[in-house]
Amino acid sequence: MRPKKAKNRRSSPAVVAVVVMRLYIADNAPNSIKAIANLEAICKEHLQDSFKLEIIDVLEFPLRALADGILVTPSLAKISPSPAAKVVGNLSDRSSVLHALGIKE
Amino acid sequence: MSAMQSEPLGRNQRGARVANDRILRLVKSGPERRALESGQVDAVLDHATGTALLLPDAQRALFSAGDQIANSLLAALPREDYQRLLAELEPVALTSGEVLYEPGERIRHVYFPSDGQVSLLMVVADGKTLEVGLVGREGMVGIPLALGAEASPVRAQVQGSGSALRMKAASFREALERCLPLQRELYRYAYAKLVQARQTAACIRFHPVAARLARCLLMTRDRVRSDQFHLTHDFLALTLGIRRVGVTNAATDLQRRKLISYRRGNIRILDRKGLKAASCGCYEIIRNLAS
Repeated sequence: MRPKKAKNRRSSPAVVAVVVMRLYIADNAPNSIKAIANLEAICKEHLQDSFKLEIIDVLEFPLRALADGILVTPSLAKISPSPAAKVVGNLSDRSSVLHALGIKE
Repeated sequence: MSAMQSEPLGRNQRGARVANDRILRLVKSGPERRALESGQVDAVLDHATGTALLLPDAQRALFSAGDQIANSLLAALPREDYQRLLAELEPVALTSGEVLYEPGERIRHVYFPSDGQVSLLMVVADGKTLEVGLVGREGMVGIPLALGAEASPVRAQVQGSGSALRMKAASFREALERCLPLQRELYRYAYAKLVQARQTAACIRFHPVAARLARCLLMTRDRVRSDQFHLTHDFLALTLGIRRVGVTNAATDLQRRKLISYRRGNIRILDRKGLKAASCGCYEIIRNLAS
């Protein structure tokens, strides 16, 4: 279960809560590429370095995705801080992503 | 349900249809079903088999991503940029005679031909036309959009059937803003086209019809990458801005010199070197610009 990409850097650990997310994609399929681009833009704007993102390709690791309760890709799962949340689709609905990540616009 | 109504790959048609039925059973309701219905899903996970089922659009995109990139402008982009563009690119067929834009018409899509070619025709008041550009796999149809114009100044008409990847105008503008390599490639290409148009203007004024016909055939050959292709008398007359009889005389001249054979629009280049010698120097100049 090799993560394809991970970022974990904290600028001020005492104050900023790191958002831990998993993005489930299908290789370079169109919606998966869009989901990565949309999420990157949101992270850059709202989370700077305070996030950890693991991208899981379901074509390589279908059992991992099934074990995590994923039904379709792309799907974004916020693991922490609680509450856990999930967004399904190419993440073009910015407000649902921000809501799921607990970010106020 | 746009994702499931799209046409799957021919060789996977049966498998994809089976997968679609299964996908509908697997995703019955909830946000997953809504995402599926709005075409935002690439794959569905199947507990029974422990595998991921790809939807037809995703299948098609992954299939074409593995292929060699046929269009030179797209092939020149870094792989990562190309893959991002791929999400917005839609494969379409180009049918001979099909008009992609009329002069003054708002450009809705840009086209990156994979094969076939598109003629750019200047239409004057009395309906007469003159070819001012030819776009094949080396280029893109819709350059005005890259230069900030919304409408096409020319008629873009498919000359040889083939296929292309097309992108909606709005997506193209966004892609151009964020992708510098695409900008660079398109500006370089637009400059080459500008010089080509100037060269063509001089060619029309100073060079004999047979030499211009030879240039036109050689340029077509380079784009279709074959010594045999189909071009009707009517189309050549439109392209060269002359009457049909002028095409007949010029083609007869080239046939007599055993450079080409020409029967009912089926053209075969018999002696490429000789045809090059018969063409005006404009062919080499334009060719060097395109490479």
